[in-house]
Amino acid sequence: MNAPERNLHFTSTNSGELARIVRVNEEIKAIVATAFRINLMALNAIFLAKRAGNAALGFGVLSNELRRFAQDLTRHMASLRDMTSGSVGSVTGVVQQQRNSAILAAAIRLSGDGVPGVREARKRGATRLAEQQAKLRTLDMRLRASVEETQQLVELGGVLARSAKIEAAYGGGFSPALMQVSTDFAEVIAQIKRSLEILGKERLVKD
Amino acid sequence: MKQAHCIYQDDTHRWLAIARDPTKPGYIIDTNEYVVVHGEEALLCDPGGIEIFPAVFSALSAECDPTRLAGIFASHQDPDIISSLALWLEFKPDLKCYTSWLWQSFLPHFGGQDSTFVTIPDPGMTIRLGGLELQAIPAHYLHSSGNFHLYDPKAKILFSGDVGAALLPPDHNELYVEDFSRHIRHAEGFHKRWMGSDRAKRDWCERVSRLDIDMMVPQHGAIYQGADVQRFINWFAALEVGVLRG
Ligand SMILES: [Fe+2]
Ligand SMILES: [Fe+2]
Repeated sequence: MNAPERNLHFTSTNSGELARIVRVNEEIKAIVATAFRINLMALNAIFLAKRAGNAALGFGVLSNELRRFAQDLTRHMASLRDMTSGSVGSVTGVVQQQRNSAILAAAIRLSGDGVPGVREARKRGATRLAEQQAKLRTLDMRLRASVEETQQLVELGGVLARSAKIEAAYGGGFSPALMQVSTDFAEVIAQIKRSLEILGKERLVKD
Repeated sequence: MKQAHCIYQDDTHRWLAIARDPTKPGYIIDTNEYVVVHGEEALLCDPGGIEIFPAVFSALSAECDPTRLAGIFASHQDPDIISSLALWLEFKPDLKCYTSWLWQSFLPHFGGQDSTFVTIPDPGMTIRLGGLELQAIPAHYLHSSGNFHLYDPKAKILFSGDVGAALLPPDHNELYVEDFSRHIRHAEGFHKRWMGSDRAKRDWCERVSRLDIDMMVPQHGAIYQGADVQRFINWFAALEVGVLRG
């Protein structure tokens, strides 16, 4: 019986890899949106510090730093996004190669042993697959390194937010408003940390 | 079970028909694939879709050495014709795919690289296979806008792609047309709806009437032989095509 086999349909276990890339991308998008929010918050904080005048000089300096942080973070996320879109190509290559190899294997099974050329074809397919998987692993390593770098940057952002809170205490009449702004900073940065943790756990390839 | 049937043999010159598969699920259109073997080389005509690749590959391998495949002839660009291209190339990366120039940049979506495709100009061309000269015969707009049939003047066989196709009920598994008037009922709806140009149809009828044909082998349904070939051409010439219903 050589009717098309059910397992030739798109039920490859590796379709999970594309889903993983989608998850990674969604997490990156969330961080980018948050970085944009920090940028706006920092701008507001800068104006607030100006209005507070001498009482909020330190706070003003920190707000500028936080703004620079938001810009650095946006750049980091852009390069992460480039990496993931590159990996879509590699994952597609792997999925396609695995599917072709599986169908060819089914054909060889049906034909029985001893059909000329099948061993070479199998070897070629395995080599191509190994190459594509190696490419994907390299991308995965680069992505992880980049996430780690971003995590360090966000640590710095956390320090800035904490310092802003301390400076807010010296804000005189503006103290409650400055305190509110610095609490918002700390919350948003904690949110980015959580997203980065999730991102750090995602793998483009299964170990 | 898909099996290769030898429909012509003269020494090392053979035509194999990998005919219909009764075990195939009904939601996929049934197809015939043909292999022309000459000496050390073989050419596969309309290799079919991805889903049936294992069946076609094993049927072909049972009758001829698949490493001898030199090329694939794709009458047109349909998925039931050529979507298995990447799989054949997986087996034999240096295969050439002969197809209309019109599909040169479309077929790579199924697989292959620039070097895979040998494009056929609109008037047709000669395709050489191990010393044998095959003719790509224009059949544009029947039904595809870039469409060729393949004529073997030595075997007197015309591979006619979708022309002559019949959508036969599951219990009609005969390889050759047995009763033309009964058979052609299953071809009528298909030709009316799929074939779009009356002028192209008349051109084709005239062109193939000048050829010496013993067998006309379509991509779907049964093979026309002997007097049934001319019967088909006459029937087709009179048929109103390009109609939505009726
Ligand atoms: Fe077609
Ligand atoms: Fe067809």
